[in-house]
Amino acid sequence: MSAETIQRTALGSQQRIPFYRNVRTIGVLAQVVFAVVLVAAAYVVYHNVTTALRSANLPSDFGFLDQRAGIPLAETPIRYTGENSYGRAFLIGVLNTLKVALVGVAFATVLGVVIGVMRLSRNFLMRGFATVYVETLRNTPLAVQIIFWYTAFLTPLPPRILNAVRLPGGALFSNQGVALPWPYPSYHFGAWVPYLVAAVAIGAAVWWLRRRQLRLADRPGNAFGPGLLAALVVAVAGYLLVGKGSLPSGAATAFRETSGVVTVFRDLNGDGVKQFLEPFIPFAAVTARVAEGGLEVQTQNLVESRRYVYGRFYFPPFQESEFEEVEVTFADPEAAAESDLAIHFFQFPSRGVVYRDRDGDGAWDQGEELDPDAPSPRGFSAAVRLSFTGFERTLVANRNGEARIPRFATTFAASESRGANVSPAQLFAPPAAAGGGEDEEEPLQAEFTIQTSRPLVWSKPTIPISNYDGGVRLSTNYLALLIALVVYTASFIAEIVRAGLLAVPNGQREAAKALGLSDSQAFRFVIFPQAMRVILPPLISQFLNLTKNSSLAPLAAYSELFAISIIIANQTGATVPVTLMIIAAYLTISLLFALVLNIVNARMALVER
Amino acid sequence: MIEARKPPIRQTGPVAWARRNLFGGIADTIVTLVGGALLVWALYSLLTWVFTGAHWEQVWNNLKLFAVYRFPTHLLWRPFTMVALVMFLLGIGAAGDKYESLIVRGVFRWFMYAAGALAVVGLVFWPSVRFGWLAVALAGMAGLGLGTVVPSVRRLLPWLWGASVVVAFLLLYGVFEDGPLVRVSTRLWGGFLLTLVLSVVGIVVSFPLGILLALGRRSDLPVIKVACTAFIEVVRGAPLITWLFIASLLVPLLLGLSDPDSISALARSMVAVTLFSAAYMAENVRGGLQAVPRGQVEAARALGLSGWQTTLLIVLPQALRAVIPAIVGQAIGLFKDTSLVFIVGLFDFFNVADVVANQPASLLVPGGIRLELSLFLAVVYWFFAYRMSAASRQLETQLGVGVR
Repeated sequence: MSAETIQRTALGSQQRIPFYRNVRTIGVLAQVVFAVVLVAAAYVVYHNVTTALRSANLPSDFGFLDQRAGIPLAETPIRYTGENSYGRAFLIGVLNTLKVALVGVAFATVLGVVIGVMRLSRNFLMRGFATVYVETLRNTPLAVQIIFWYTAFLTPLPPRILNAVRLPGGALFSNQGVALPWPYPSYHFGAWVPYLVAAVAIGAAVWWLRRRQLRLADRPGNAFGPGLLAALVVAVAGYLLVGKGSLPSGAATAFRETSGVVTVFRDLNGDGVKQFLEPFIPFAAVTARVAEGGLEVQTQNLVESRRYVYGRFYFPPFQESEFEEVEVTFADPEAAAESDLAIHFFQFPSRGVVYRDRDGDGAWDQGEELDPDAPSPRGFSAAVRLSFTGFERTLVANRNGEARIPRFATTFAASESRGANVSPAQLFAPPAAAGGGEDEEEPLQAEFTIQTSRPLVWSKPTIPISNYDGGVRLSTNYLALLIALVVYTASFIAEIVRAGLLAVPNGQREAAKALGLSDSQAFRFVIFPQAMRVILPPLISQFLNLTKNSSLAPLAAYSELFAISIIIANQTGATVPVTLMIIAAYLTISLLFALVLNIVNARMALVER
Repeated sequence: MIEARKPPIRQTGPVAWARRNLFGGIADTIVTLVGGALLVWALYSLLTWVFTGAHWEQVWNNLKLFAVYRFPTHLLWRPFTMVALVMFLLGIGAAGDKYESLIVRGVFRWFMYAAGALAVVGLVFWPSVRFGWLAVALAGMAGLGLGTVVPSVRRLLPWLWGASVVVAFLLLYGVFEDGPLVRVSTRLWGGFLLTLVLSVVGIVVSFPLGILLALGRRSDLPVIKVACTAFIEVVRGAPLITWLFIASLLVPLLLGLSDPDSISALARSMVAVTLFSAAYMAENVRGGLQAVPRGQVEAARALGLSGWQTTLLIVLPQALRAVIPAIVGQAIGLFKDTSLVFIVGLFDFFNVADVVANQPASLLVPGGIRLELSLFLAVVYWFFAYRMSAASRQLETQLGVGVR
């Protein structure tokens, strides 16, 4: 290399690179251009949107949130009426999303782990079933699955509300959903609160002390258990100590017999009538007594489980023990005797069928409920009457202080006045109101006694007329969405669990065996903890997926965040603010999950050292 | 004298298999018996319902709606030509012996089975499209034959696929106001055709977008990095259905169009589906980019390649190869998720079921026919999604992912 070249090279390195070839300058310039383009685009978009909104006279701010919503919502975890604002309706949407997401996450995890473990089972049947489960459910759209479950509930594959199944423990199941017994805070709950606060404080203290003790002794151990136990003991002791309090002063009931609704309220002026300003008492237990009365229904021909069923009659589900004396007869016994009609009960006194005993064996046989003289096959049409003395049932009012009893009547109008064709809507209308002799009417003698109760009151569901009352109701919509989400997500979780279990080296299993651990011990103490490290991060992102997938709720007509937002957007025309709210809500949820994921990852990394 | 011992328990054959897999112990035996009984009962009830209880007439009568919705019947040859073209190209691809063609082969074989079955059914039952499916099956065979006999054609495949996109668009949408290639409004599109169009457009267009976003997210330039990260995270943060809804409301507003109908519902949902898919694609590609060892980049720079050359020639090919399974998984997800366009009022395969369920003839069936419809939808979606995932799994085995 000549001296000249070297000199030139040295010179060249001293020369500054022209700015348009400098990587850093180019980078800065590119960013500036990018930012300018972005800002310009944002401005154009902003301009377009505001102009369009102004010209269409649509709201572009959040002022509409205070307006009256008037959206009828079936499921409201907090108090809501049509008078409430759009803001509150949106909040209910968020709560409903959380209600389905949190419960779904819990069940999906359990089911997913079970299926995932089954996929590795030695048993061919279990393995095969799990494989088919995963491959089928993962590869069909969730939307189709939601429709399937929703239809499976509504096509009366399970019984109708008239025919509700009573599950052990007082739960009721029908195509209107499931109603479960549920504890609610009664008027006496306030007395228990100090104990609850104390329980939390003591629990935390025990946890902290135990943890410190363990740390000082340098021993591994669980501080959470003792803390929880201490808190539970204090809370339960408090519950027992508080006992049953006396009723709030002036507690009274008001009964509207046309609807069968009793309202529990505080009668401030002592006139025995619910005035506008007198507050109601939520979740009060009331014993209803009706000395004498009755109900009348017409037999129906229905489709159940896709089959026609004929000549059935349904009273609201009663238990025989609720009456002193009860009797079910034809409303018009002579006419029934004339055409040899008889009653067969499926469940006394609520459900049965009207038939004509053609083969004379004194019992209903399939086909005898059909009227052979009718032009097209259908059941005998007859009015059936339930009359009773001494009805008694304990109810728990809802959060609006209302509870329901069946709409009993004291007297019945002449049966001719009720046409042979009674529409289902009229079915449970109070017979007295259905027409006929006004002079025969007299008010129903119903008595209500408010019960004193402990801080929590156990509300059992009943079916007073044609829907659930009391307890907690999981609607068909909710159940369909929940089941679809759980079953769908579980198929993904199962694969994650399987991958996690397979990721644990076989040597670990062998080492555990060599140490003398049993199969289940090896799984619980050696395999599973190590698998958890692989499983948890993707598992949490599945939880997030489940939450986001709950936005398919409109398919099951369940009103969660997205479904309610659509309604709000349609009613107010405030599309832009509503979309911003939807995005903000989902981003918040996503961020929370990301936060949890990061914490978990950090803890996992620590454990690994 | 030593007594003759009993022969050892057989370790092979069906009996040994059953002993190992079904009756391994007392618990195993109980599980097998109880589970088996339950399974038999469930299968029996399902099959009885499918073959005797269910009402399939409405599904059978409305197959055209399910396939193409209201696409004019006399123009059905156009979608058929498109499908035949796709099968032809798939056939050429399936003839290859490289591992990439494995996935194509898996998909192609099953599509051929399906086309063959439909050809037979068509010949017997569907006079209006009697030879359509036959032509599709033959096109597939021709493609396979051509690819095998003239292997050099396979090198042209990328160009052929590119050209086929244009041809498919012209076939479906049309060119002229009149004549055989008359324009067909997208409002008449629907059924499975629409589902396919949406998922193919979504995955194909989101591919380059996703790569750009992923590169942007890994860029050293903070403004670009922040912008890309924000886009990806915001889009991934909310579910697709909300983006579809938002797109259907806001796209005309954002573009400042005075007449909202000047941009069709199909175009709006395509925008939403593509952008949504791009954000997920970006994360997949990012995973691949992170899997490329740093040494590759350094070696490329040492060889004197520029930044662009390094990215395009060294990093991206390796990164994309590593994430093929993830991308197939995303394609399956998108294929299933297109069912959500019901929210913007498009009649895709899923939403046609709703139309059919509300026909008077369907309402006459006691209890409605939604159960049958959802079963039918599930089976069709499942067939396509499962074939894709099975092919991808084969590919994974071939690539050695997951085996160490």
